[in-house]
Amino acid sequence: MSILAYNGGAVVAMKGQDCVAIATDKRYGIQAQTVSTNFPKVYQMGPSLFVGLPGLATDTQTVFQRLKFRMNLYELKENRIMRPKTFSAMLSNLLYERRFGPYFIEPVIAGLDPYDNQPYVCNMDLIGCPNEPEDFVVSGTCSEQLYGMCEALWEPNLKPDELFETISQALVNAADRDAISGWGAVVYIIEKDKITEKHVKTRMD
Amino acid sequence: MASVLAPEISSSGFSFENCQRNAFLAQKGFPAPKATKTGTTIVGIIYADGVILGADTRATENTVVSDKNCQKIHYLAGNMYCCGAGTAADTEMTTQTVASQLELQRLHTGRTVPVETAATLLKRMLFRYQGHIGAALVLGGVDRTGPHIYCIYPHGSVDKLPYATMGSGSLAAMAVFESGWKPKMTEEEGKKLVRDAIAAGIFNDLGSGSNVDICVIRNSGPAQYLRTYEEANVKGKKQGSYRYAPGTTAVLKQRVIPLEVESVAVHPVQPMEVEPASSRR
Amino acid sequence: MAASVINTYADPSMPEWLSAPHSTGTSIMACEFNGGVVIGADSRTTTGAYIANRVTDKLTRITDHIYCCRSGSAADTQAIADIVTYHLNFHKMELGEEPLVQTAAAIFRELCYNYRDSLVAGILVAGWDKKKGGQIYSVPIGGMVQRQAVSIGGSGSSYVYGYVDANFKPNMSKEEAVKFVTSTLTLAMLRDGSSGGVVRLGVITESGVERSVVLGNQLPKFYEG
Repeated sequence: MSILAYNGGAVVAMKGQDCVAIATDKRYGIQAQTVSTNFPKVYQMGPSLFVGLPGLATDTQTVFQRLKFRMNLYELKENRIMRPKTFSAMLSNLLYERRFGPYFIEPVIAGLDPYDNQPYVCNMDLIGCPNEPEDFVVSGTCSEQLYGMCEALWEPNLKPDELFETISQALVNAADRDAISGWGAVVYIIEKDKITEKHVKTRMD
Repeated sequence: MASVLAPEISSSGFSFENCQRNAFLAQKGFPAPKATKTGTTIVGIIYADGVILGADTRATENTVVSDKNCQKIHYLAGNMYCCGAGTAADTEMTTQTVASQLELQRLHTGRTVPVETAATLLKRMLFRYQGHIGAALVLGGVDRTGPHIYCIYPHGSVDKLPYATMGSGSLAAMAVFESGWKPKMTEEEGKKLVRDAIAAGIFNDLGSGSNVDICVIRNSGPAQYLRTYEEANVKGKKQGSYRYAPGTTAVLKQRVIPLEVESVAVHPVQPMEVEPASSRR
Repeated sequence: MAASVINTYADPSMPEWLSAPHSTGTSIMACEFNGGVVIGADSRTTTGAYIANRVTDKLTRITDHIYCCRSGSAADTQAIADIVTYHLNFHKMELGEEPLVQTAAAIFRELCYNYRDSLVAGILVAGWDKKKGGQIYSVPIGGMVQRQAVSIGGSGSSYVYGYVDANFKPNMSKEEAVKFVTSTLTLAMLRDGSSGGVVRLGVITESGVERSVVLGNQLPKFYEG
């Protein structure tokens, strides 16, 4: 079995019109045994910047802490907040440093650029190769299902409420076909004047 | 000194802190996710007035296409670009590292850096890591000695050739070059040949796909990066829309975090009054 | 989920030989004559069964009067040649005159011996110097060094030992030596699958090096069954 599927979990992010969304499931398990149903894998790193770190849970937490540390240093030194593009370069470098002994996570980044409000989504492999597409990014144990859902559901220029329905349905239906993802989900819709956090109802089996 | 509250800032270079843990996990039946072997179609040729580089735009994770339109022609310097095949992170990071070294070299010497310098930096880096950095590169550029194409392999060997191909689509692309390349081709002929070689890779090799990227570097003038020179595979138009009606998804609880939108004000800059030196006390 | 792997531009069904380390399955040769040495090599570089380069130059310059013929791993031999070139340039600046072929061979041997566990390199060092004239030193895998009047190397060499023993004569003229090297390499290329292409030659004498190429259709003809 792959170590990336030890704890289970899924994250997806999508671009909309002047907004982005990122969604995560809430399960934490040890292989087939569910341990907690309140373990979101998405963290807020800035006012309009989020990162999802699905994979091995111990690394999810370690990488989050290391990222927060480096980000605090950056913001103290530079006296300005970090752009999403800079953040992914930082994360990419953090992961590539461990090229020969990686953290077992495959991150997803979503945010609005604080300077020009451009939507930004990005995902990476476990050694930090960034991928910045124009539509959506997925990661986690049901990434293949998520690719299928997103490829069918996503369309350009979705408004925030439409984007919420699209990303929620993509995640919920993908996680239903994965035994180790699901058990609740959280969706963040990021707009330039507000962030909406919605806890979505899902199957609990 | 590192402490719990103020961890030490990591030094530069690779870190092997996870290796012991990962080896333990591997021994317990959780092997580290393996890197699959080289893929892609990347090419480069010399033509009458410089070099032309070409690449497909597919990235894969196992059998899943993880990026349908990725950039495989990387910037090194104004006069040279480098196509990368193999482990995507390795090609990305290796070219970035060398690009920064080349820029420092250019600022230090005040000259256009020769292509040979880039080839040497790349091969030294790859040889040092004995093939563990899985980057297979086609380096192309021009300098005062003319146009150059180098093939650089993951183990650190270099071939200098008038036309080169790399990646899993290299056989298909090389077949096109071996039958079509000739010395002193025009730019139009060259672009056509490179397009044909990449298309041969896209359609005959499973690891290559999507679009054709081309980069033309002429002996004089800036490099011309033709991103999506040709869309070899146009995606079909979506016939229906799967838009869900608002309210389809059941929401358990909701929280709105308002963000302060900082107003952008433009302050007119007043010329600063400088006190005359005599009035200083 | 299928084991998620490191992001590559890869085709998982790609045959192993495409990513095998790049090596010069080779035929190389060097031969003394009355005014210097003749060196020669085929031009094929293989990655498994694929010919990665059909016009390779395996005769690598170390100094104006010293060349080496490379066989084994392309990456290893190129790196060694670069390092020896660096050392000899430095040595030449300190010495103020052309380095001896023996010195070059000694540096090759030093590197090949010290790193014998991680290198795959069989090298012929050939050149001309004022002290001993034309000389050839063979540095095979493992890092031994041995001076020889004529030497062959690489995978193709095993087919032509008999031919070399039967036809080598000390103190040949330049033309005789060039013909002998060309014929030997042609025979090796005919029998060895990982050698082929053109024959690249170099004649090193007091006046420097004289490079030439014998194209595939200009090679001498032998019995081919």
